[in-house]
Amino acid sequence: MSQSNRLAAGGLIDRASTIGFTFDGRRYAGHSGDTLASALLANGVKLVGRSFKYHRPRGVLTAGSEEPNALVELRSGARREPNAKATVAELYDGLEATSQNRWPSLAFDVMAVNQLAAPIFVAGFYYKTFMWPAKFWEKLYEPMIRRAAGLGRLSGEADPDSYEKITAHCDVLVIGSGPAGLAAALAAGRSGARVILAEEDFALGGRLNSDRRTIGDKASSAWAADAAAELESLPEVTVLRRTPVVGVYDDGVYAALERVSDHMREPAAHQPRQRLWRIVAKRTVLAAGALERPIPFGGNDTPGVMLASAVRTYLNRFGVAPGKRAVVYANNDDAAATIADLAAAGCEIAAVIDARGDAPALHAAARAAGASLIFGGAIARAYGGRSLKGCEIVDGRGRGFKVECDLIAVSAGWNPSIQLTTHLSARPVWDDRLAAFLPGARPVGMEVAGAAGGAYGLGEALAAGAKAGAEAAEACGFAAGAVDIPATDPEPGDTHGRGPWRSPVKRGKAFVDFQNDVTVSDVELAAREGFKSVEHLKRYTTLGMATDQGRTSNVLGLALMAEITGRSIPETGITAARAPFTPVAIGALGGAHRHKEFRPTRLPPSHFWAEEQGAAFTETGQWMRAAYFPRPGEKDWFETAVREVNTVRTAVGVYDASTLGKIDIQGADAGVFLDRVYINAFSSLAVGKARYGLMLREDGVAMDDGTTTRLGETHYYMTTTTANAGGVMRHLELCKQWLWPELDVHFSSVTDQWAQYAIAGPRSRDVVAALVDEGFDVSNEALPYMGAKELTVCGGVKARLFRLSFSGELAYELAVPARYGDAMIRAIIKAGEPFGICPYGAEALAIMRIEKGHAAGPELNGNTTAADLGMGKMLSKKKDFIGRTLSGREAFQDPERPSLVGFRPVDRSARLRSGAHFVPRGETPSAANDQGYMTSTAYSPSNGHWIGLGFLARGPERMGEIVRAYDPVRGGDIEVEVVSPVFVDPEGARLRA
Amino acid sequence: MPEPLVARSPLRAHVAPPASPAGEPGVVLREIPDLTLASVAALKGREAELTQAVSSAYGVDLPDGPKRVSSGAVSFVGVGPGKWLAASTVGTDFSGLPAAVADQSDGRAVFRLSGPKARETLATLVQIDLHPRAFQRGDAAVTHAASIAVTLWQVGDEPTYEIVMFRTYAATLWRWLVEAGRSRGIDARLGG
Amino acid sequence: MRIACPFCGPRGVDEFAYLGDATVKRPNADAPDALPAFVEYVYLRDNPAGLHRELWQHALGCQSWLVVTRNVRTHVIDQVEAARDVAAARLSEAE
Repeated sequence: MSQSNRLAAGGLIDRASTIGFTFDGRRYAGHSGDTLASALLANGVKLVGRSFKYHRPRGVLTAGSEEPNALVELRSGARREPNAKATVAELYDGLEATSQNRWPSLAFDVMAVNQLAAPIFVAGFYYKTFMWPAKFWEKLYEPMIRRAAGLGRLSGEADPDSYEKITAHCDVLVIGSGPAGLAAALAAGRSGARVILAEEDFALGGRLNSDRRTIGDKASSAWAADAAAELESLPEVTVLRRTPVVGVYDDGVYAALERVSDHMREPAAHQPRQRLWRIVAKRTVLAAGALERPIPFGGNDTPGVMLASAVRTYLNRFGVAPGKRAVVYANNDDAAATIADLAAAGCEIAAVIDARGDAPALHAAARAAGASLIFGGAIARAYGGRSLKGCEIVDGRGRGFKVECDLIAVSAGWNPSIQLTTHLSARPVWDDRLAAFLPGARPVGMEVAGAAGGAYGLGEALAAGAKAGAEAAEACGFAAGAVDIPATDPEPGDTHGRGPWRSPVKRGKAFVDFQNDVTVSDVELAAREGFKSVEHLKRYTTLGMATDQGRTSNVLGLALMAEITGRSIPETGITAARAPFTPVAIGALGGAHRHKEFRPTRLPPSHFWAEEQGAAFTETGQWMRAAYFPRPGEKDWFETAVREVNTVRTAVGVYDASTLGKIDIQGADAGVFLDRVYINAFSSLAVGKARYGLMLREDGVAMDDGTTTRLGETHYYMTTTTANAGGVMRHLELCKQWLWPELDVHFSSVTDQWAQYAIAGPRSRDVVAALVDEGFDVSNEALPYMGAKELTVCGGVKARLFRLSFSGELAYELAVPARYGDAMIRAIIKAGEPFGICPYGAEALAIMRIEKGHAAGPELNGNTTAADLGMGKMLSKKKDFIGRTLSGREAFQDPERPSLVGFRPVDRSARLRSGAHFVPRGETPSAANDQGYMTSTAYSPSNGHWIGLGFLARGPERMGEIVRAYDPVRGGDIEVEVVSPVFVDPEGARLRA
Repeated sequence: MPEPLVARSPLRAHVAPPASPAGEPGVVLREIPDLTLASVAALKGREAELTQAVSSAYGVDLPDGPKRVSSGAVSFVGVGPGKWLAASTVGTDFSGLPAAVADQSDGRAVFRLSGPKARETLATLVQIDLHPRAFQRGDAAVTHAASIAVTLWQVGDEPTYEIVMFRTYAATLWRWLVEAGRSRGIDARLGG
Repeated sequence: MRIACPFCGPRGVDEFAYLGDATVKRPNADAPDALPAFVEYVYLRDNPAGLHRELWQHALGCQSWLVVTRNVRTHVIDQVEAARDVAAARLSEAE
């Protein structure tokens, strides 16, 4: 458990706390404050993973979320998380990490033979190699590719952890906590503005912790710690660590993912693993910094090749020497700091290669470190396989030689992290001086500060951050004082890295996109084959399309394509990013709303009673409805539903109809309004009467139906179907507010106010009479069919009683305030016992409505008109109403249009199925011979055979005709007879009894 | 003669579980039963008459924005242009007002959520800005809690909120609040 | 996207339900050319690349229908009016 590469002193780790972890089953030790990557490097572990396509050994390239190589599986069992970046994963005691995409072991991977077969894995290999024979694709090629190429494995088990979503509003959102971000947050925070500072790392400071810089009289990391402490002390500042901002949306809305418990073995009690923040910000300062670019050369993916800035991070922040003998390969001055820091840490520097030629800053650093300096040279090839052993260098005059080393630090300038400026489709702009893309148009309210805006120097980043933070606060109405920015130590020189973009020597695979195994040769091949635009390059080679989103490869790939095709970089293309900035787990997007809590569940007033009865439930939209009430000995739903239908038809049953939409409508113009939204008249309806109404859409197609009762001169009570309640309410409000603002009419949803029970069957009047209070008459004379009364029941509870029937029997709907709903159903059952009452559910109701030929959802299916439904005569000619004019259009008048009729099987024992199409007897089933379709079917206990409703061309004229019900999907092809859609009591005598 | 009907809450422990915190509660959830509620809409051309009637009957100036104005046991909450939710703790009958009045005493359920973590708990479900600079005692909002339509207002600085929802959603919203409150020390008890 | 409801204030777009074009006007059903006028009203739409007037409802809020003037290329909203006010103004103009 020795940490052989841990420096004796220094770094921001807590050396007092030593923690154990495992990698591929071996035990190691690290310190709190380490990442998995820094702890592995401290232990001398360089080989961390195998690459996606070629299974090449890979190590650690970076020290941040841009890492393309060091992907591992974290934890085990149900909490196993694939493709975690070792450079981001925070070390905790007992952390288990496993390398991925290797078999049988990381050191010996059989699939590494893929690189011998590299010619077939070149760019576009999906499209070329596996095209023929086509039938091999599914059975052979795809499984083979999936096994050979790949990333980590999912656990395959249910996620045991919880996730949370939360909304926060602020004046100023600061993204990133490097020098610019901290200065911005301080400037805005001190003004009293509400500030959120979001940092993806677990420590605030960014490169202030990675570099040995000086601000005033403090080390840069100490300055960052002081700034963090001050921000934490400000009451209106919220500091979010471990929280990358992952998406930018219109009007200052941002998504950020807080990794609440990812740095723990498992979340603390009741804590989510991750929390998704929706941040609504008036102003935003993007201070996301910049990422260093690598230089491609042969074998540049050998473990031990690392970005020069990452080398400094491991040295200075983590106290780890990533190598003992280093070669530095740079095309700018930034590597001077790496040389100095390596030397200070006691590392030997074998060679410094400046790709540009002589540059004073690197020259001086190399001389100070005692390293030999090679001007205008390049690395031809790195070698060592699983661990870097050395490299072949070519100097400016073309002479080659080998240098032994275990670390190559590469530096090719910086890419500002501008991704979040492009999420709303703004295009970045190329800056030749910086050789980098800078933010173009910014999202409204966003300012960019520091390295993300091209201000790479420490002093200028601090100043830019302070200015942006103060301006953002001022824009929100706060007086921001000047933030005193102390002087900083001298800047390193020209850090811009304007090329060369690659090693001029081609020897071995030189990787551009490490995660997707895209090489310089692949880019050249794409160019040769004509895929020269960046969009084509990306799709053909998959460059930039891995989970790292090409953070280290996109600009490089573009620059190479520009070079190959002799164009400028902006001519070649521009890379813009889409959300999310880093991968987001689906669990975090769902938050707490998963499984049964995916959406709300509405419980009707009889629900708890129905549970006690052992009812089976069915979901209708958000509602839980009782489907049927099984009794002991009944073998399935069918037997139960048939018994329930028979009870209603011969005695009495009760059904909870509370899920119907109920709308209270009042106002002087309520009647006129209803005349305009229904096809039939309601202003002429007498007080105390109900009427069935059909609503159309403006295009003449049926929208919804239900009964509306006139409770008073200016007071109506509308019911809608369960499914359409919300839509009808929206429609009514639109008609009122937008079409006819002159009308005095008001709506209030009372769906939940009333528990409404249908009491149906020949004995229903007896039951109702037993419930209503003395003095209320429910006789046929006092309350005829389609009558309504306000009265009291069970000793003074106010109620509404309607003489309505969906079942076709003598029936009532009794509505009481919902708080009495539970007691009311129990009272109805009790009062009904002498008459043989049973509760019935949605299944029995569905059977009875088909027996009565009532249209429901399958008939009101968005294609049918009033005439199709057999309600053409209801269309009022005296008034305009929604849908009237277009009801009259030619296609809707076509006599061949299928309209509603009933069907019964010629062979009475045959089963009918909805979805079957009607074809004339003796004709071939074809689109030309298609005359309509079956919409609803049921076994009718009252008829003793299956019955159906459907739409048939000229249906009502064809009573008694036999047609084919053709159902190829389920192998059905039977003869059915066209009959009236009313299968029970066609005269309606029962419901008027 | 049937037995008198008993009024019951939409909440039962098996769909609306109670919760008690390990230590001091960070947030307290209770149902407020027995509030009298009515939706009130001004009739066309009779707006002034309604304002006058409410003022003289209850001493309340009808708010014209999303605010709650109360006097004694009666309050009016602005829920839309020309629309209010009237509430009373003493069974006030609002049906005599010169307005379109619909009883909602059973159509809605009401929760009270209070405590130092109440705001944060609510922020996991409600997206509006509840920071004291943006939302204070007397402010009201018609919005949604993770898709469940709610009307809410603040009644105390602790802070304390009252949340009104359609009755049939009460059990779901209770569970969601309890779930969000677990990490924040929620004390949730049925029956007051 | 956030829409500033004239009654409730700015709210997230998930509180709003989109309907469509607010520039079309329901024709007079008694006019002799009512049928073609309704066909145009129901089916025919301009598709401007830029500012558009749209009907939205604050469905998970105060239920107000709104006329939102929005640049459909940038999502920038210029103006939000209560539909009832726009409709009433149209009505008084017609008189």
